[in-house]
Amino acid sequence: MEVNLTRKDNEVTVKFVGRMDTPAALEAAKELEPLKEEASKTIIMDCSELTYISSSGLRIFLSLRKAAAVKGGKVIVKGISDDIRQVFMMTGFLNLFQIED
Amino acid sequence: MTIKDSLDRLAVQRSLRAGILLVIVAAVTLEATSLIQNYFAQKSLREEVSSKAESRLNILESEIMNVINQAEAGVRNKMWIAQWCLDFPDSLARVSQLVVDDNPVLVGSTVALVPGYYRDRPLFAPYTLRSGDELISRSLATEAYDYPSQEWFTKPIELDEGYWSEPYIDVGGGDMLMTTYSVPIKDADGRTAGVLTGDISLDWLTNLVENVRIYPNSRSIMLSRAGLFMVSPREDVIMTRTVHEVVGQLADSLAFMEVNRAMLNGESGEATLYISKEKHHAYYAPVERTGWSMCIIIPDDDIFGSIRRDNLLIKIFQLLGLAMLILILRSFIRSQFKYSEVNERKERMEGDLHIARRIQMSMVPDAVKSFPERHDLDMAAAIIPAREVGGDLYDYFIRDGKLFFCIADVSGKGVPASLVMAVTRTMFRAMSSHEDDPATIVQSMNDSMCEMNENDMFVTFFLGKLDLSNGHLEYCNAGHNPPRALTDHIFELPVQPNLPLGIMQGFPFVGQETDLIYDDALFLYTDGLTEAENSAKELFGEARMDAALHGRKSAKEHLNTIQMEVEKFVGGAPQSDDLTMLFIHYLGTGEGYHLKLKNDVSQIELLAGFMDRVAEENDLDPGLAMQINLAIEEAATNVIMYAYPEGTEGEVDLGASRQGDNLIFTLADTGIPFDPTAAPEADTSASLEDRPIGGLGIHLVRTIMDSVSYKRAEGKNVLTMTKHI
Repeated sequence: MEVNLTRKDNEVTVKFVGRMDTPAALEAAKELEPLKEEASKTIIMDCSELTYISSSGLRIFLSLRKAAAVKGGKVIVKGISDDIRQVFMMTGFLNLFQIED
Repeated sequence: MTIKDSLDRLAVQRSLRAGILLVIVAAVTLEATSLIQNYFAQKSLREEVSSKAESRLNILESEIMNVINQAEAGVRNKMWIAQWCLDFPDSLARVSQLVVDDNPVLVGSTVALVPGYYRDRPLFAPYTLRSGDELISRSLATEAYDYPSQEWFTKPIELDEGYWSEPYIDVGGGDMLMTTYSVPIKDADGRTAGVLTGDISLDWLTNLVENVRIYPNSRSIMLSRAGLFMVSPREDVIMTRTVHEVVGQLADSLAFMEVNRAMLNGESGEATLYISKEKHHAYYAPVERTGWSMCIIIPDDDIFGSIRRDNLLIKIFQLLGLAMLILILRSFIRSQFKYSEVNERKERMEGDLHIARRIQMSMVPDAVKSFPERHDLDMAAAIIPAREVGGDLYDYFIRDGKLFFCIADVSGKGVPASLVMAVTRTMFRAMSSHEDDPATIVQSMNDSMCEMNENDMFVTFFLGKLDLSNGHLEYCNAGHNPPRALTDHIFELPVQPNLPLGIMQGFPFVGQETDLIYDDALFLYTDGLTEAENSAKELFGEARMDAALHGRKSAKEHLNTIQMEVEKFVGGAPQSDDLTMLFIHYLGTGEGYHLKLKNDVSQIELLAGFMDRVAEENDLDPGLAMQINLAIEEAATNVIMYAYPEGTEGEVDLGASRQGDNLIFTLADTGIPFDPTAAPEADTSASLEDRPIGGLGIHLVRTIMDSVSYKRAEGKNVLTMTKHI
C-alpha cells in the first residue's frame, strides 16, 4: 500500500492506494504518527483508491480523529467505496467521521 | 473363574482319571488272577478225574476178568474129560454136570456136538442148568432151538478157539442176562466134534458196573461186541438197542458215534459229550477177550460245579470289593475337592457365555481404535449388556469417504437376542457394502428379516450415512429412539415414523437428510440409557441425558461423562436392559482449503491469495469476499499477535470448507489457551471520547460471521467461524 501526503495551506491530504491489511496498517501507523502534531489542521483521508481496510487501519483513522478532537482540527474521509463504507458502518465509524464523496 | 479354581478343577479331573484307572487295573488284575487260578484248578481237577476214572475202569475190568477167568478155567479144566467121553455119548451129559458142579460161577453148561457126529443122533447137545442148589439136565437138541445155528456154537468152531458169545437174555432159564464161553472139542483124530460151553449170569455184572459211581450223578454203561447195551441206566435198551439207535436223533450224535466206534474197536480213552445239552465227560476202556467195553459218563457239573460255585462266590466278593473301592475313591475325591457336577455345568455354561460375549464384542468395532488417521472424525461407542450377551448393536465402517453407521436394539434379551443381533450386523454390513441409500438398505434388511423371522423378534434400527467430505447426512430410522444432534444446541434429530425391522414385509421406509458442519455431533443411544432405573424405580430420562451432553468434549469424554452420570444415578441397582451409545463428532472441513501461517504479522499478506481462491471457487460476491477476508484476518491477527509468548515461534492452521450453503473456517493454534469469544461486546455507539482504540477486531469477526465458536481440545485453541453464503 502506498501512503501519499500532500500539504496545501491548512490542509493535509493523506492518500491511500491499495490494500491496508494489518502489516500495511502497522507500517502506515508509524509513517503517520507525526501527523498527529498537525491535528489542528484539516486532515483529508483520501480513500478513493483504498480497496481494503483491516481494524489496524481503522485504528489509524480513530487515533487521528481523537488527536484532531483534542487540537481542534478535523478529519474528513473522502471517496470510500461501498465495501469500506460497510466496514465503517459495522464499526460505528460513520458516526465518528465526516464522510465526503 | 480364578486361576486357582482352574487348577483345582484340573486336579479333580486328574484325580478322577487316576481313580478310574485304579479301579480298571484292580478289576483286570482280579479277573486275570481268578481266570488263571480257575484254569489251573480245572486242569488239575480234569487230570484227577481222568486218572480216577482210569483206575476205576481198571479195577472194574480186573473184577470182571476175575469172573471171566474162573469161567474159562471151569470150562477148559473139563475139556480133557469131554474129549475122553466122546466115545461114550451117554456120558457127555455127565461132563456138563461136572462143569457146572465144580465151578460156582457157571450156571449152565452143554456139550453140543456137530450135527451128524454120531450117526444115530443127528443133533446131540446134553445141557445142565443150575437152579438153586439143584442141577437140572436137559437137551438143547430141539427143533425149535436149532443149536447148530447159534453163535456160541458156530463162532468157536469157525475161529477154532475159545469164544465168548454175545450176551443174551436166556428166556428158558429165568430171564437172566447170560453169556456163554465155548471151546471147540477135538476128537482123537483131531476133528472138531463139537463145543464145550459154560454159561455165566451177568446179573453181578450189572451190579458191579452200576456200583461204579465216582461222582453222585455219574453213570456207567457197558457195550457188547455188537454194540448192544449190556449195562445201562435205561433198562429198556438193554440187549435191545445199539448206541446208534439210541443217540441217532441227537444233535451231537457224531461225538457219540466216535466214542461208540472207539469202544467197539477195543480202544480206551476219554471224550466230551452233550446229553440233553448238558456237558458230560466220558471215560472208556475195553474188557479183554470178551469184546466188551466199559464207559463211565460224568456230568461236567459234578466235576467242575463246585469250582464254579466257588468262582461265583469269588466273583461276588471281587465285585463287592471293586464297588467298595469305587465308593472309597469317590468319597476321597469329593472330600478333597468341593466341586459338584452342578457347579461344573454352571461353570461350563458361564465359560460358553464368556466366549459368546467375547465373540459378540468382537463383532462391534472398537471406537477407540477406529480411524486414527482421520482428523475429520472423532468417535466413541460403548455396549453395556445387562447380561453376558445382549441384543444391542452398533456398527460402522467407511466406504468411499462415507461413514455408514447404525445402532440397533433387538426385542428381548440374552442369547436369542444376541443371535438376532449378529444377523442384523451381518445384514447391515452386507447390504451397505454396495448400496448407498439408507432407506433402501433398511428396506432390504427388513424384507430379509421378515422372511426368516419365525420367532416374532423385531429390531429397532437407525442407519446413517455421513459424507465426510461435506457433512451431508442421509439417514433412515426404523422405530429406534431418535438420535440427539449436537450443533450450537442439543435437539432431537427429526425422524420419520417408520416401523421397526422384522414386523411387516414390504413396509416402505422413508429416508431423510440433513447437513452436519464442522464440530457438529450425533449421539445415538438405546433405551437402556433413558430407561436406566435407580432403586426408587425412577428412570434416568432424556432431561438428564441432555444435561450430560452439554459442553464440548472429545467423543470418549462425552461417553465417559454419560456413563458416570448413569452409574451415579442407578447407584448399583441391577439393570434389566442393555445400554448402547454411539457418539459421532464431525470435524470435517471437507476437501477444503488449508493455509499454514507463522506467528509473524507479515504472514497476513498470504491471506489475500487464499481468500481470492475461496471467493473465486465459491462464486462469492466481491463485497462478501472482502468482509470474510476481514473477519479471518482479524481472527488470525489476534492469534499471531497474542497466542505465543514473544520470541517463540508458533503456527496457525487456517482451514476452510464449503458445507452446503455454509463456508466453515477453522483457526487452530497450539498457543496459550485463549477464548476470543469471551471478550465483551464493543460499544459501537459510544462517543468518540469513550471509544477505545482497540477491540474492533473481534467485533468485526462477530459481526461478519454467522456463528463463531471456540474450543480448547488436545492442547489446541480451535476457533470455528461459519458464514452462510
